[in-house]
Amino acid sequence: MSSHVLAIDGLRVYRGGKRVLAIEKLTVSPGEVVTFIGPNGAGKSTLLLAINMLLPYQEGSLKLFGQEAAKANELALRRRCSLLFQEPMFLDDTVYNNVALPLTLRKIKGKEAEARVLRVLEITRCRHLAGRPAQRLSGGEAQRVNLARALVTGPELLLLDEPFGSLDMVTRRSLLAELRQILEDEAVTAIMVSHSMGDVLYLSKRTVVLQEGSVTQDSSPENILRRPANAEIARISGMDNILRCQTALLQQETWVSLTERIGFAVPGAVAAAYCCLPGDIFRLLSQNEMLAPGWVEVCGYTRHVIPGVGHYQAKVAIGDIEFTVRLPRDQAIMALAPGRTVRLAFHPSDVHLVAR
Amino acid sequence: MEAIINGLYQALTLLLGGDAELYQVILLTLQVSGTATLISIFLGVPVGLTLALKDFPGKQACLSFINFGMGLPPVVVGLFVSLLLWRYGPLGALGLMYTSWAMIIAQAVIASPIVAGLTFAAIGSLNPKLRLQLISLGAAWPQTYWLLIKQARIGLLAAVMAGFGGVVSEVGASMMVGGNVKGETRVLTTATVMEVGKGNYDLALAFSFVLLLVAYAVVALLTYSQNKGKGGWS
Repeated sequence: MSSHVLAIDGLRVYRGGKRVLAIEKLTVSPGEVVTFIGPNGAGKSTLLLAINMLLPYQEGSLKLFGQEAAKANELALRRRCSLLFQEPMFLDDTVYNNVALPLTLRKIKGKEAEARVLRVLEITRCRHLAGRPAQRLSGGEAQRVNLARALVTGPELLLLDEPFGSLDMVTRRSLLAELRQILEDEAVTAIMVSHSMGDVLYLSKRTVVLQEGSVTQDSSPENILRRPANAEIARISGMDNILRCQTALLQQETWVSLTERIGFAVPGAVAAAYCCLPGDIFRLLSQNEMLAPGWVEVCGYTRHVIPGVGHYQAKVAIGDIEFTVRLPRDQAIMALAPGRTVRLAFHPSDVHLVAR
Repeated sequence: MEAIINGLYQALTLLLGGDAELYQVILLTLQVSGTATLISIFLGVPVGLTLALKDFPGKQACLSFINFGMGLPPVVVGLFVSLLLWRYGPLGALGLMYTSWAMIIAQAVIASPIVAGLTFAAIGSLNPKLRLQLISLGAAWPQTYWLLIKQARIGLLAAVMAGFGGVVSEVGASMMVGGNVKGETRVLTTATVMEVGKGNYDLALAFSFVLLLVAYAVVALLTYSQNKGKGGWS
């Protein structure tokens, strides 16, 4: 008996003769919350449909709770999971009856059903909505009720397909916080797909990047944010500076050139096409400040400053390149007025190089 | 204009006077067209549902055939059913020719493609993700189909109304396979044609008004059920 909730091995899914999923190895353990991120058409939703047995796979193995999905009793296996779509669809009925629907489908009625429905409505803070017509809920309320409906059966695996994608940022953050709390309290294993790195950072400790149907990175969200496997992942995760670079192998190190004037050495032999610099690795140098050993100095002028809570973002032109720099508010106010010349420094160990 | 007023007057007189022959014709009309519509629901709804929800080779050909069937000329249907039920035809041994069952068969052939085509349209107009949502909530396939039918019930009732309207008003097939035998196969449409043939325009108009009244009453009843059950899955 497998201890994994989900175990994928050599999975291949074809649609219309085209291969849309090709995952070699992937496992999800009980209680784990895994987020999948990737560009549009990467196969994120297709993967959820395949896991929920709504889409057949042609090659490989997909085991749910230790059972091969293609050979198991689909309905019985599916009823141990819940899939939450981005768009909530409800009966023209009360919230209570909508939430009770999965129980009705499983022939669970009476006191037990009532207790379960009231419990999930309480957990999702929808108790006050119980008697309301489900079709007249606001976007946030509807997703909360949608979540309650998904949780009412006590699923062992919760599948979330960009559940809060259509909501405004405030509602979205609040729902994500509630979802994270529920997943922790109920110890539910969850797989969520999203195109927002913000959601991913908020919710999970493990993130899998899908590109063209294949897993290209499986790591912590922070690692994906700072050490993306390729330039496209860097773009998806919101990397501030993704710059083309040239590398030249020296004796024990590699020389990385961003422009003719900006270059630095990194240890070892590295072949890279792109250089990723998070905006918060930059330090602002005062006029007469000496550069610490090992740091790289760049000079330019501020083009534009975007205020923010926690840090300010500035666009700094250095030669032909415009860098995005994030600095604490006090430093930004002092030194980052548009048009002003600034001295910045970064350490090469904070830079991440990718081959493609 | 005078003929129309006389026809209307005669229709009311016959209806209010409890004319036994007229009521027999009305009853048979409802029996024949009602049974044919019921048969068309049992045949057309599963066909429309399958076409809307399943992908299979030849689906487009099936759809075009159904769409073609929605406009089948009743006279042609009557002719083919006659050939089947004729004494020396393939189903001649059943002895159904010139019975109300022959009319039911012909009308069911006319109504089934209408119900199937409109069922396809009603189910097809639902959110395509709805079926996946229901399945993912743990619905077995009969539960899924039942919930989809409930969701599309407004469109499905429209299909039933169109099917009933199509057969209650046709005359060619009923005349051909029923023969307009008094007390056995005479329905409102065939009776109207017969009275026109005899030159009794007042009576023909009276039958027409009664036919319109009966058709309206049935459609009004279905419309009431349609609006009563308004809603479903969003």
